[in-house]
Amino acid sequence: MIDDKRREVKKKLRTLKGLPTLPPIVAKLTRMIGDETVSAPQIAAVIERDQVLTSKVLRLVNSAFYGFPRRISTVSNAIVLLGFNVIRTLVITASIFEMMQSRDVGLWEHSLGVAAVSGILARDLGLENPEEVATAGLLHDLGKVVERASLVEDYKKIQEKVRNEGVTWREAEQEILHMDHAEIGGYLLNRWNLPERLVEPVASHHELKKARRFKVETAVVQLADILVRARGFGYSGDPWVPEPEEKALKLVGLDEKKLEVLLPQMEVKFYELKFFTEEIREALLEKNPAT
Amino acid sequence: MKKILLLSAEVPPYTIWAEVLTQKGYRVEIFPEIQEAGERVFFSLPDMILVSEGLHPELVKDLIFALKCDLSLASLPILLIVDPEKLPRIDWHEYFVDDFICEGASSEEVISRVKLALLRAERLADNNPLTGLPGNTSILRKIEEVIHDDGEWAVGYVDLDNFKPFNDAYGFSRGDEVIRMLARLLVNTVEFYAGPKGFVGHIGGDDFVFIVPLDVADKVAQEVIQKFDQLVLNFVDPEDRERGCLLTTDRQGVLCRIPWPSVSIAIVPVWAGRFKHYGEVAAVAAQLKHYVKKVPGSTYLIDRRKEERP
Repeated sequence: MIDDKRREVKKKLRTLKGLPTLPPIVAKLTRMIGDETVSAPQIAAVIERDQVLTSKVLRLVNSAFYGFPRRISTVSNAIVLLGFNVIRTLVITASIFEMMQSRDVGLWEHSLGVAAVSGILARDLGLENPEEVATAGLLHDLGKVVERASLVEDYKKIQEKVRNEGVTWREAEQEILHMDHAEIGGYLLNRWNLPERLVEPVASHHELKKARRFKVETAVVQLADILVRARGFGYSGDPWVPEPEEKALKLVGLDEKKLEVLLPQMEVKFYELKFFTEEIREALLEKNPAT
Repeated sequence: MKKILLLSAEVPPYTIWAEVLTQKGYRVEIFPEIQEAGERVFFSLPDMILVSEGLHPELVKDLIFALKCDLSLASLPILLIVDPEKLPRIDWHEYFVDDFICEGASSEEVISRVKLALLRAERLADNNPLTGLPGNTSILRKIEEVIHDDGEWAVGYVDLDNFKPFNDAYGFSRGDEVIRMLARLLVNTVEFYAGPKGFVGHIGGDDFVFIVPLDVADKVAQEVIQKFDQLVLNFVDPEDRERGCLLTTDRQGVLCRIPWPSVSIAIVPVWAGRFKHYGEVAAVAAQLKHYVKKVPGSTYLIDRRKEERP
């Protein structure tokens, strides 16, 4: 069956110009780049806290021009290969959100939280590369940024539907876009040649059965998403906390006993992150008191 | 001084072009006879050729082809001077030239085109096609330069261990990715610690050279090793990573467990008067490599013999 809406959305995704970043993050990075005492790892640490910049860096290093297709999955590795000058250019040419809404910051906070918790779960499981799983966590809602920035009309409809009908963001997406943010994010990351170990957890984080090769990583991102929503760190579009899939809990081995051990670790992370997110939030308010 | 051959009639505007180029410091020779010029070119290569298409259309085409293709002088810049009215009819597939100049061009334009073509040739001539890094000619030149410099430098010779079995197991294109990875890593690390003073060249295959001020040599080597070991994992299949080695068969058909590539670096310190010739640097590097290669895994060795130092 031909689905015109899906086709229309995918066409828009293929011609996507560039995703905007939060203005204070770009301002902070621009300041850091102008400061000679700031090192590449320090800049990497800030880039790693933004899903749009992270996806740009990874897209570039995995592009045909650099010659490492589907190989590089972390910002720190990407920076080593791209070099400081390329990163500088990338930051200077980054586009920013013209009109900010406070929920833009909420989504960004949510993504940061999911990145941190994904890292904690991956480390606890003894996965080989926790940094990579954290990156997948950071990017898991990239589809929502795309909706906000490039599917503006549909985004408004989704927003209204969630508000008026009390459905989840994902249900509203499926009704209006005929696909959800997970599919949108996965579609883009795949087009951008990112490694499968990032694409799969993003594309399948709401439906574990879709993941074929990286089930554990996908389960980690799903549970991290749920834990961060339950904790109320950031805002991801609707107020509901979805139910975790049995299979995910089993793959990650997450039960009450384990949660008791991990929750304090997560709280430490949330506490650290707050310093950064509050700094960004304040900078936004200064510039734009209306939000 | 750069030598330019101008193959054209000995009349204005060509004589004027020759004059202004001479004023800009180029050595210009005009050859109105293409055959004579041909001989001249083959036996004493100029840095650039400007050739007028109208001089002898067929011969001009042949000469260009011979130089660029038969002699593989792809890096010798050739600029074709053409009548602007002929432009629509010219098939550029037939001319292996780098640029063209219209017959009525101003002196300023000619000078700029010449400068630009020379710069472009310098950038491209010797560069390795896989990594885009300068090749042997530039490496030799650079080593000669630091040998005779007053400062203290380090020349690092970099290569990979177990690269061949890696290529055998995964194919050449994966091998090329690792070479490109090492190239980018070297460039960025050298740039970070040495800035514009640093140099990275690609000898060929998995052999590289870097040159940095002596006081940062250890840091560069340590960081390259640490980052390489981390990055190379991205190029090893997950199954092999779990197993901890690659499986290949040797010439006798016996199954072998081979570690994935690691990096070896031999560093030769250079100070004024230590070496007279680049060959001596390479000889010391070869001695060091002998020891470095005996150590499994990524490692570097710096020649600490300083007794000869003033």
